Amino acid sequence: MTSTTPLMHLLQGYLKVMSDRQQLVASNIANVDTPGYHTRDVNFQSAMRQVMDEGNDVQLVPASTQVEGLPERPDGNNVNIDRESMLLAETQLQYQMGVQLIKEEFHRLLTAIKEGN
Amino acid sequence: MGLFDMLSVSASALSAERQRAEVTSANLANAETTHTDTGGPYVRKEVVFSTSNVSPFSTVLGRLGHFGQATPGSVQVAGVVDDTTPPVMHYEPGNPDADKNGMVAYPAINPVSEMVDLMGSVRSYQMNASAVTAAKQMIQESIDILKSS
Repeated sequence: MTSTTPLMHLLQGYLKVMSDRQQLVASNIANVDTPGYHTRDVNFQSAMRQVMDEGNDVQLVPASTQVEGLPERPDGNNVNIDRESMLLAETQLQYQMGVQLIKEEFHRLLTAIKEGN
Repeated sequence: MGLFDMLSVSASALSAERQRAEVTSANLANAETTHTDTGGPYVRKEVVFSTSNVSPFSTVLGRLGHFGQATPGSVQVAGVVDDTTPPVMHYEPGNPDADKNGMVAYPAINPVSEMVDLMGSVRSYQMNASAVTAAKQMIQESIDILKSS
């Protein structure tokens, strides 16, 4: 993965982690009625490190882990719909923040180009 | 993985929940059906949900070039099974479906629990529709990076 600036590289990884996390949240919501399903999530720190170390092509799923400490229903499912809807909104906003920062970085780059002449 | 996979995961849940609502409606509609093509009363149906394998690397490798396969983490209807609860017998000698003792077999369907099941599937459907909206918005934001500021 080659990026124009170090910040761009970091933000690219951040967006990758956020979209992968959002997919796991969507998968948890999708399986809210599946017997025996357990909630999955990514550990932000290790996922971020993995993305920064190995580039953008890495599959993040190995970093996804089962979430401990959620009460299990009698059918063996432990998806908490309140937790998932909160995470859905939270991850969406974090993604939005990453996108805004990237736009800002491009804008800065453009300013540097324009002010140069 | 990516935002488009998130869309397909939520779409799989939408279709599974819709199928569950369909089966529940059929149960409600046939709560009093005493006569079917196979003979005997209507048998209550139930859907079985299962999650597609979340095993990471092998599924990703296996999915290369196979677009028909389910995205890992999506939900699918593994089957529609019959409820084995025996039918409820009512004494109705005038009914054409009555046996020689005048008993009629009615399906063992409780409309209240069917309604609760129906409401559950509607709520899950709404939740997944919100997830689709979130994914769409995130994709739109990524496209907006391209727009000149």
